[in-house]
Amino acid sequence: MGAQGKPSNSVNPMQRVKVYRLNDDGKWDDRGTGHVTVDYVERSEDLGLFVTDEEDNETLLAHRIRSDEIYRRQEDTIISWRDPEYSTELALSFQEATGCSFIWDNICNVQRNMHFNSLSDLEIGPRPAVETLEASGTSQAHDEPYHSINSELRELPAVELSTLPLILKTVMESDVADQMRVTELIVHSPNFFTKLMDVFRICEDLENLDDLHTIFKIVRGIFLLNSPHIFEKIFGDEIIMDIIGALEYDPEVPHVQHHRGFLKEHVVFKEAIPIKDPSVLSKIHETYRVNYIKDVVLPRVLDDATISSLNSIVHANNAIVVSSLKDDSTFIQELFARMRSSTISAESRKNLVLFLHEFCNLSKSLQLAQQMRLFRDLVSEGIFDILTEVFRSQDKRLILTGTDILILFLNQDPNLLRMYVTRQEGNTLLGLLVKGMITDFGENMHCQFLEILRSLLDSYTLSGSQRDTIIEIFYEKHLNQLIEVIVLSCPPKGVDHKMPQPLCSGEKEKNQGVIKPEILSNILELLCFCVHHHPYRIKCNFLFNNVIEKVLFLTRRREKYLVVAAVRFVRTIISRHDEQLLLHIVKNNLLKPIVDVFVGNGNRYNLLNSTVLELFEYIRKENLKTLIRYLVDSFWSQLVEFKNLPSLQALKVKYDQSRENGETRSIINMVDPRKRTDERALEKEEEDYFNEDSDEEDTASAQSSHVSKQGAEPVLPNGARFNLRPIRVGLVDYDDDEDDEDYIPPSRSKPESSPSSVRTEDTAEKSKRKSSNAEENELRKKRRLEKTLSEDTVVPATSCSTCSLAASPSKELIIYKHSISQSSDKSCNSNDETTEKKAEASRNHSNCLPNTADSRQSGREECPLVQANGSNSSLEIAENGANVTGSEPYSVR
Amino acid sequence: MSDLDRQIEQLKRCEPLKESEVKALCLKAMEILVEESNVQRVDAPVTICGDIHGQFYDMKELFKVGGDCPKTNYLFLGDFVDRGFYSVETFLLLLALKVRYPDRITLIRGNHESRQITQVYGFYDECLRKYGSVNVWRYCTDIFDYLSLSALIENRVFSVHGGLSPAINTLDQIRTIDRKQEVPHDGAMCDLLWSDPEDIVDGWGLSPRGAGFLFGGNVVSGFNHTNNIDYICRAHQLVMEGYKWMFNNQIVTVWSAPNYCYRCGNVAAILELDENLNKQFRVFEAAPHESRGAPSKKPAPDYFL
Repeated sequence: MGAQGKPSNSVNPMQRVKVYRLNDDGKWDDRGTGHVTVDYVERSEDLGLFVTDEEDNETLLAHRIRSDEIYRRQEDTIISWRDPEYSTELALSFQEATGCSFIWDNICNVQRNMHFNSLSDLEIGPRPAVETLEASGTSQAHDEPYHSINSELRELPAVELSTLPLILKTVMESDVADQMRVTELIVHSPNFFTKLMDVFRICEDLENLDDLHTIFKIVRGIFLLNSPHIFEKIFGDEIIMDIIGALEYDPEVPHVQHHRGFLKEHVVFKEAIPIKDPSVLSKIHETYRVNYIKDVVLPRVLDDATISSLNSIVHANNAIVVSSLKDDSTFIQELFARMRSSTISAESRKNLVLFLHEFCNLSKSLQLAQQMRLFRDLVSEGIFDILTEVFRSQDKRLILTGTDILILFLNQDPNLLRMYVTRQEGNTLLGLLVKGMITDFGENMHCQFLEILRSLLDSYTLSGSQRDTIIEIFYEKHLNQLIEVIVLSCPPKGVDHKMPQPLCSGEKEKNQGVIKPEILSNILELLCFCVHHHPYRIKCNFLFNNVIEKVLFLTRRREKYLVVAAVRFVRTIISRHDEQLLLHIVKNNLLKPIVDVFVGNGNRYNLLNSTVLELFEYIRKENLKTLIRYLVDSFWSQLVEFKNLPSLQALKVKYDQSRENGETRSIINMVDPRKRTDERALEKEEEDYFNEDSDEEDTASAQSSHVSKQGAEPVLPNGARFNLRPIRVGLVDYDDDEDDEDYIPPSRSKPESSPSSVRTEDTAEKSKRKSSNAEENELRKKRRLEKTLSEDTVVPATSCSTCSLAASPSKELIIYKHSISQSSDKSCNSNDETTEKKAEASRNHSNCLPNTADSRQSGREECPLVQANGSNSSLEIAENGANVTGSEPYSVR
Repeated sequence: MSDLDRQIEQLKRCEPLKESEVKALCLKAMEILVEESNVQRVDAPVTICGDIHGQFYDMKELFKVGGDCPKTNYLFLGDFVDRGFYSVETFLLLLALKVRYPDRITLIRGNHESRQITQVYGFYDECLRKYGSVNVWRYCTDIFDYLSLSALIENRVFSVHGGLSPAINTLDQIRTIDRKQEVPHDGAMCDLLWSDPEDIVDGWGLSPRGAGFLFGGNVVSGFNHTNNIDYICRAHQLVMEGYKWMFNNQIVTVWSAPNYCYRCGNVAAILELDENLNKQFRVFEAAPHESRGAPSKKPAPDYFL
């Protein structure tokens, strides 16, 4: 910089730009590379942008700066505008962001001056014309005065009280070249800052506000020079406090700020473990101050370029600090030794954990590989054992800090934690996490627990044995805990003698008020997640522990969003298309609470109304005959008052149709092996069921329009995702149900107006009778099921859900961003796919009246379409990508 | 002054709330939004606003032009977050107003009110930056799932973020959507939030956005006729003049983010409907630079590293 050699080649890289012009085809033409200056347009008072070719000094661009807002700044290095003279878009792409900032500021200044039509509005006043330009250190071929304003500047003015205005003027020069020259002079001046700060202290002692304001402007101007060398100087321990002091005197802020007071008196640097290296300590303090200046002192003043410079200083400092601490083996050892020590005070333990959190958090500044290694090292030092202890603490803030640390690990490499919890000693941690999820954290957010558990239970990313172990432990030990919370939280009703009561009623009432609704909604979310991820496992549990019934207690909650969530849980189960579960629903009359809340909600058109109607629609569209028949038989008397709703009309029509088709059932029965379902055949039946399950799950998820498909789905190694089999759902036939000794359908001959209390009693009695003889069967079944399950290695493939997305956002982001690049060439193709899918969907949708054609058919039709794409996951990716790139119509880029 | 009023004042100064306050606010909002319908009824007079995209200070200009809530009854058509610098403050202010004056402000969902989109376009990063964790993002995106999908003003004006769907012929069909979910990649709910009207399309066309559809004038005429409405009001597309009529005044786009992304140079508009549904567009420009406050952040009083 500043070499005063051959004019055309000595130009600073800051001024180096490429000129682009938008051609008629909408592409950017490269017009050449040169150096940009702001200069007077020949024979005029107006200023313009000029670019001189770096090769031949030809003028690549001459543009008169206009007062209207045509200029745009993109990213850090591009300025573009629609040029009225060329009548096309032009753009300057800068080699360096700083150069771009300078020119941008220039344009803004010029515009401002045009608006006020007077240079005197500038803080500094009119610029004196100066003749010489050789000394400028830049190399303009032009001879106009504008850019050479400071070119005589060989040295800075002596720093004295009297020269402050001159210094300010010098610093505030807006020409790129001049600013670079000033920067250079400041950097090389041995005592510029010392002297300036001396003057500052004098002014402060004299309470000389005017000069203090000038000093503020000087320091602010120096920050905006955005020079790394200057930052290095002013952030040093020696003068930083004075610099911050100078920044307390902002003339635009009515009150003097007290930043130094805050930094000296309120801010505490805590040392969990003494850090011995003075250079590390100094970096730590510097980082805090840089952040403070950026976020508190100067946020209004700093431009984007300066902010990003400060950010990179912080980033670099963090990396230095973390890596020197991690390489200091005594430090890490001492840290862990102290955390394990039983003698330290609660306060120091807390500080250690807070330190650990900051340490892990700042390690993001390390390179990825280094960070991975660090986390692995921390794991082998026993960080998870330490965190287990943290979760046992009574201090809720501390526990939440523990979850934050766990999330940092999960984002980095989820397998570290998974491996740990599958080990004997790690089991406790899983239990504590479940406990955390159902603990009341008062006003604090604690959704992290749900996040962590989802990540641990995510069947897509877990590998074989690890997955089985975690899921095994979770279902064995913890699921019931969650269900218990639900049971305890729900007000009893007339039917509550059906529910198991492990606690006396007094205790129960106490608990009702205590359990926060957000805990319940988190539990429900986790349960829905489990239904998607572990359909077999959860099925056993649901069947044998009456989980669905218990969850439906939530329909009695006052909070309507919990009621809705309970309905949605049932909807999620129904979307599995598992005939056993559907029968279970019918047998236990599990849609009753849903119908009750629907009817109770009356004609109010709210989310509850829509959610239940959607459930009915789904049952009808998927032609779940078991449920259609059960719904209409049992509840039509209640639902009839809503028969003007198209969804209910259609349900009834469907019901009537299938009754009429009852004749054909003997034919269907021949085809359907399940037809002869009875207790004797159960064993064979179940085995078949579990062998076939994986495919059936796939079908269910492929069909389910409700389940949102997000992110790229993992491709199964066996590629069986869309390998469909005929679905047997709906082929179960009514007589079968009646053959089933446990199932006693509510009498159709019963008067429609029968009071609900009678009905309830009736149901209750039935269920009692049922439970006695069902119990032993179930016990027998359970043993068999569990045997089957332990051998079961089928990878469940369900549609991805929000849950996993949220669990590891950073990863999703990568997929996303990656897909952007793919999508440009794929988007066309994927659009075709999307629309075809849509057409399909819309056909189904618009069937307001039930189509006699089996709606399952369309589900099957969709699948070859997906398969035709070759790779299942790429469709998802391409779709996502298309969403992203195309999401806004007027993308400037 | 209640906590909520104090929070609204704080948000109006563009100062974000504490995590615990966000949590409490979201829980209250959930109880209110769960009672709303997929086609939320709105009474006139009402002022309709399009995309905001986190341009907090420009939204303050909007309130200057349109009047304060609750004095003015507002309908916001979604896309509160992403792209601008103040998605957190923007969305929380609107949500706090919703909780404070549920009958005077209606918020419906835009395609950016989604977990996926916000992870790419800024809201996720902003929450992480401003709170140090993504808990606030989780709470806000959970609230997004409860937002209504569309609004119907005095049975005459249908309002939605994106546009129409081939799966939806009548407003009644919107009723059976269980809206409490992430915006799906296809289907009616997706289309309502993603589709665009397009001159050159006859019927339905592929959307270059990769979600939703393009729909032509005949589709709009059919829909308006079937549902007996005067016109459709939607947002979702930048229009340089702030608003734009199409298809012989059967559909209007309203855009309320001036100088979109702080660089597009467009003006913004809101649409005021009086009690007789007379229309008046109010056009406004971006807030002047000086009026933008500091994006200040409270520093942690102690530090280890």
